[in-house]
Amino acid sequence: MGTLTIGCFASLVGSKSLDFTLKLANAAADKGHKVNLWLSGNATVMGKNHQKHLKDYSTGEKPTMELLKKGVEICECEACALARGIQKPDAIEGIQWNAMHWYLAKIYNSDRVLHVGGE
Amino acid sequence: MSNVTCAFIIQRPPYKSETSTLGFTHAISWQVVEMLLDEGQNVVPTVCFVGEGVLNLYTNQKAMENYGVTSIESHGKNSLLVDLDMLVCKEDLERFGIPEDRLLDAEDMGADKKLQIVPYAEIQKAMESCKHLLFF
Amino acid sequence: MNLGVFINDYKSTVETVDRLKADKLGFIFVQNGVFHTTLKEHGKSSPLLDKTTNLYVLAEDIATRGLTEADVDKRVKVVTYSDVVDLIFNDYEKLAWL
Repeated sequence: MGTLTIGCFASLVGSKSLDFTLKLANAAADKGHKVNLWLSGNATVMGKNHQKHLKDYSTGEKPTMELLKKGVEICECEACALARGIQKPDAIEGIQWNAMHWYLAKIYNSDRVLHVGGE
Repeated sequence: MSNVTCAFIIQRPPYKSETSTLGFTHAISWQVVEMLLDEGQNVVPTVCFVGEGVLNLYTNQKAMENYGVTSIESHGKNSLLVDLDMLVCKEDLERFGIPEDRLLDAEDMGADKKLQIVPYAEIQKAMESCKHLLFF
Repeated sequence: MNLGVFINDYKSTVETVDRLKADKLGFIFVQNGVFHTTLKEHGKSSPLLDKTTNLYVLAEDIATRGLTEADVDKRVKVVTYSDVVDLIFNDYEKLAWL
């Protein structure tokens, strides 16, 4: 089994790239791979708790909690989150907060890296 | 113990989105990544500019004056200051008609590194020799 | 190098993709990139389909857009997320999202 680190920079609402990221992370975790997920830029909004699933918008909270249960490490860029008005008490429990070097450090120990850039 | 090399390929133009800025800031963070790794381990990015990505490199940017945000030029200068290798596609500069003297440098900050204007073939080599690719 | 490229858009990424060279090049078409595998603009298939024989399209993303496997160019293999994970770990040491 290998280690996959995915960096996602796309927003939860307004893009489907983050949906793709969550589904890919889930598929990799189900196959027994170690998965790390770094959220930066607009993707940090996904770390906000109490998301309401309105049918016209993507939602990330439920799949994120399932990923955390499967052992996927998820971390978001603290500066990116704070800049968007998200404070630590608002974060989904289990998501780590750190700076950009967390992503690079996970890359160090990864067999594969998929960087899903912003739009 | 060894370094892991990454090629950060910046291909998006500046300012309309945050993408290229995040390319710079993530690359700069290599300076402190050792804090999270064991002794002797490091992650070393090479930052490459291709296509519209070269439009990030103009000097005299006024983002702070106009938007109150750190300019991409400033991030570029800081990248040189922390000794990142920055490769700029020669063909793309020529295609857009951008002369070398319109590009940023960090000599005033005391940086030893300079932008390296290279044929695309050199950027291809950087992509081949690194372990991971990240397109911004 | 073995390079797997996730093509997630229809128009904007062609220039960058055109320049990429790899010993083994694979295209995994996702999101609006799937239209490369289904459209024939002015009667012609996407030129990306001529660049390599390692062509994959995500089943979920063609179905989401009202398309079926019958719409997909015969050179392209329709794959699931699980298949994509296997491609990542077994076939491509480097990945790009374009």
